[in-house]
Amino acid sequence: MSSNARLNMVGLLFGAVFGGLLTGANLHEYDTIHSMLRLDEPDVFLLMASAIGVSAPLLWLLERRGVVTPFGGRMSLSRSKPQRHHVVGGALFGLGWAIAGTCPAPALIMVSSGAMLGLVAIPGIFLGLHLRERQTLATLATAAHVGDGEHRDTAPSGS
Amino acid sequence: MFDVLPDRVPWYVVGPGLGLLIVGLFVLANQPLGASGAYVQTAGLVRRRENVAVWRVWYFVGMFAGGLVVTHVLRSGAGELRSGYDSLRAVFPLWAVVPMVFGGATLLGYGAGMAGGCTSGHGLCGTSQRSPASVTVTATFMAVAIATTFVLRVATGGDL
Repeated sequence: MSSNARLNMVGLLFGAVFGGLLTGANLHEYDTIHSMLRLDEPDVFLLMASAIGVSAPLLWLLERRGVVTPFGGRMSLSRSKPQRHHVVGGALFGLGWAIAGTCPAPALIMVSSGAMLGLVAIPGIFLGLHLRERQTLATLATAAHVGDGEHRDTAPSGS
Repeated sequence: MFDVLPDRVPWYVVGPGLGLLIVGLFVLANQPLGASGAYVQTAGLVRRRENVAVWRVWYFVGMFAGGLVVTHVLRSGAGELRSGYDSLRAVFPLWAVVPMVFGGATLLGYGAGMAGGCTSGHGLCGTSQRSPASVTVTATFMAVAIATTFVLRVATGGDL
């Protein structure tokens, strides 16, 4: 199997476990997100905090050790400075998140769990991303200044 | 099918599980796992762009498949068709809920594109990298979402 094919299988597997974990915690349910944002229950905040609490120290340690990854070269974390588009983008995201009660991964799981309005949310997310992409292409912005979310690279280095 | 999962797996299982998954993808591919990036790459593949990170399209498929497996295999009695927005529909009629969901989703998609990530990319993976940009995005969307929810609650007389 080629390196690309193996990386694709990694993507499929990690996506399935990620989706499965979110489904287990009912993060695809409007009520879960809405109760969290109403500050009725701390579960989702604790979930996120415990995820970061586990991964942040491990990532710090592994980067310091100079781990070389099989698909992406030497492990290097990115730590960009906050810019205006982070604040504005985050605010728009928060507004939409509170109204729709879902975000990109849970919207997919809504559909796979039978919540049919996920079929309305998914095209909306695609449209929003598309509108933004069209705008940045027009201003010749590059992916490099986008930040440390998943949009930082289109492909792992060395593939 | 098999009723092996509780109705809601507790946060202290799912949270650390997600943490290990994030570490796993950095160790294997030096990449953050994020959902909105998977949307971007999937749209790129459909539109036959160059330089598509195909593994993120597989990631997109995987998220959907993971939801299917948990709903239909590991849980029983779940998976029947429903709107998914019962409490929103108790306050608003369906003709209002559909544009709310679509409009909200468009806004969050646009915002994720502008910020360069969403709840997973910035909220989990970026903060795990101790990125000041990701911490800023996460604090902003949390604060705005909590404030928006409060406004919706007041505007509906406490019904929502």
